[in-house]
Amino acid sequence: MTKTKQNSVLEFFKQNLVLCGIVVLIIVTAIAEPKFLGAANLNNVLRQLGPLPFAALGMTFVIIAGFIDLSIVGIISLVGVITVGLIDPLGQGGALLVGILLGAFLGWLNGLVLTTCGAMTQAEVLFITYGMSSIYMALALIYTQSETLRLAKSEKSYSIFTTLGSKNLGIIPVVLILFIVILVLMHLFLRKTIWGRAISLLGGNKDAAYLVGFNVKSTMRLAYTINGLMSGLASIALLSRVTTATATSGTNYETNAILCVVVGGTTLKGGKGSVLRTMLGVVLITLLGNCMNMLGLSTYMQTVMRGTVLVVAIWLDNRKEL
Amino acid sequence: MKKRIALLLTVAMIASLTACGKKAEEPANTEPAQTEEQGDAEPAEPAEPAGDEGTTDTEGKAKVAFLTQSLKNASQAFAWSQFQKLAPEYGFEVTLIDEDYDAQNGVSGIGTCIAQKYTAICMNPTDPSALIPAIMEAKEAGVIIGLYSSELPEGYATTEYRDFMCGTNDVLFGEIAAQQLMEAFPDGCNVVEVGGQSGHAAQINRHDGFFNTIDDSVKVLAAKDCDEWASDDAMAIMEDFIVQYGDDINAVYCHWDVGLTGCIEAMKAANMDLSKIYTIGVDGCAIGFDQVKEGTQTLCIGQSFTQMTIDAFDCITKIMNGETLETDVIWTEPQIVTKDTIDDYEYPEW
Repeated sequence: MTKTKQNSVLEFFKQNLVLCGIVVLIIVTAIAEPKFLGAANLNNVLRQLGPLPFAALGMTFVIIAGFIDLSIVGIISLVGVITVGLIDPLGQGGALLVGILLGAFLGWLNGLVLTTCGAMTQAEVLFITYGMSSIYMALALIYTQSETLRLAKSEKSYSIFTTLGSKNLGIIPVVLILFIVILVLMHLFLRKTIWGRAISLLGGNKDAAYLVGFNVKSTMRLAYTINGLMSGLASIALLSRVTTATATSGTNYETNAILCVVVGGTTLKGGKGSVLRTMLGVVLITLLGNCMNMLGLSTYMQTVMRGTVLVVAIWLDNRKEL
Repeated sequence: MKKRIALLLTVAMIASLTACGKKAEEPANTEPAQTEEQGDAEPAEPAEPAGDEGTTDTEGKAKVAFLTQSLKNASQAFAWSQFQKLAPEYGFEVTLIDEDYDAQNGVSGIGTCIAQKYTAICMNPTDPSALIPAIMEAKEAGVIIGLYSSELPEGYATTEYRDFMCGTNDVLFGEIAAQQLMEAFPDGCNVVEVGGQSGHAAQINRHDGFFNTIDDSVKVLAAKDCDEWASDDAMAIMEDFIVQYGDDINAVYCHWDVGLTGCIEAMKAANMDLSKIYTIGVDGCAIGFDQVKEGTQTLCIGQSFTQMTIDAFDCITKIMNGETLETDVIWTEPQIVTKDTIDDYEYPEW
C-alpha cells in the first residue's frame, strides 16, 4: 500500500516536473527576496512574458510535426521593421495586418522550400531554415540599412501598438489576453481538428500519416505557416513592447522558443506534445530570468542555468522512452 | 531530394558570388563630405600613389580595407558609409570585410588583403586578440594597420603591431557618465546600471570607467549586463530593478542609447516620473538625440564616426607620404549631448 502511494507520488512528480520546478523556484526566490511575491512583480512577470509565448506556441506545432525551425529569428526581425515602415503609408491597422500576414507568408515559404527540397528530417530542415533565417535578416538589413526604427518616428498614430505593449486590462496585460485567446484556439485546433491531428500523426509516423491519406507535404507546410503566423505575432508583441525594431530584433528567440517547448514536455522526436504544456515552459523560463535578476545572479550564470535546464529537459525526455 | 538540395545550394552560391562581384564594381560615392567635423579638421594632402609596390588599383587609387565586426551593428554600418563617402577625397578605394561576429572571417580577410597588396586596413574587429598573428603578417608585408574605434589588447597596443589607433575611449564614456551624474546630484544619488552585451569590450570598459570614477555619494543599487545589445533584454532588467528598488532609483546608466529606450519604456509602464530620473545613454545615435529632445534621456554621450574616419584617413595618408605621426593614438572627442548642448552637434545619420 505504502509502496503504491510512493509510486504514485513519484509518478506525479515525473509527470509534472515543470510545475514542480516552478513551485520550487517561487519558494526559493520568495525566501531570498520578499518583493518577488508582491503585486508589482506579478504584473512585471506577466508583462515580461511578452513575445516569447507566441514564438513558443508556433514552434510547438513544428516540433510536434517532427521538425524544427530556426528561421523565426529572421521572420521576427523582418516583420518588425516592415511593420514600422508601413505605419505611415498604410496606417497602423494596415501595417499590423500586413505584418502578421507577412509572418504567415514567410512561414508558408519555409514550408514550400522544405517540401520542394524534399527535406524530411530534422537535420535537413535545421540547416535550410537557418539559411532562410539568414535571408530574412539580410532583407531586413537591406530595408533598414542597419538603422534602428522607432514607433515614435511615425507621423501617423500607433496607439494599437502602445496598447498592446504597455496597457493592462485589470492586472493582465492586453498582449497576454490576446495570447490566451490564441492559445485556446490553437489548443482546440491541435486537439479537435483533422489538420491538428494530421500534424501530430506526421510527427509520430510520416509513413502512417501518408498511408491513412494525409498529404504529408501540405501538412508540413501548414505547420510552418502556423509557426510563421505566430512569429509574426511575436514580432508585433516585441515591437509594441520595446517600441523599436532592428534587423536583429529576433536574435535568440529561436533557442528560447525551442527551450520552452522542450521544457514544457513536447518531445523533440515529434508526434507528442501540447500547447498548454508549452505555456508552462514559457512561464518557467520567464520566471527563471526574473528570479535570477531578483537574486542578483550574473548574466553568465543565467546562461548556464538556461543551458542546464535544456539539457536536463532533453535527458528526461529521452528517459521516458526507455 | 539530395539533388534538389545540391541544386538549391549551388544557386544560392552563384547568387552570392554574383552579388559580391557586382558590389566590387559599384562606383564609389564621389560626393565630398560636408560635415561639421570635417570643417573642423582639415584633411591631409592626398597621398602619392604607391606605384611599384602594387598597393594601388588600376586607377592608381590606394586600396584601403575596412574590417568590421558586423554591418548588422548600426554604428558600423554608418562608419562604413563614412568610409565610402570620404574615400574619394583622399584618393582611396575602400573595400569592406564584414566579420559577421566571427574572428575567423577577419583572419581570412586580412590574408586576402595581404595577397592583393592592400595599402592599409582599418579594423574594428570582433576579437582583436584573435587577429594578432594575422596583423603581424600584414605588418611584415608592408600593409598599414590602423585600429578603428577599438584597440589591441594590453601589451600589443604598440606601433610594433599596429601603426595607429583612432577611436573613442569607452572607459572615458563611463568616466563622463559618472562625472555628469555626480555634478547633477552633489548630495548623492541612487543609480542602477544596465550594461551592454556581457563580456563585450565596450560593456567592460563603459562599466569600469563609471565604477572607477564614482565616489561614495553615488550608491549603485544594482548593475546587470544583457545577453545581447538588445533593448528587450535591457527592458526586462529595468523592469526587475523597478520592482526591487522602485522610487529609490534616481538615475539610470545604460551602456547604449537603444537599450535606454527599453529602460525608458519600462519606467513609463511603471508610471515613474521620468522628469525626476537622470537617464544616461552612450553612443550618440539618432535615437539618443531624439530622446534627449523629447526629455526622456537626460544625457547622451556620443561618438563621431565621421571624425574618426577622417582621423584614420589622415594617418594613412601621412604614413603613405613617409611622414611620422605625432602620436599613434588619436582619441576622437566625445560628444556630451544634453538639452542645452544638443544644437551644438550635427544630428547623427545612424
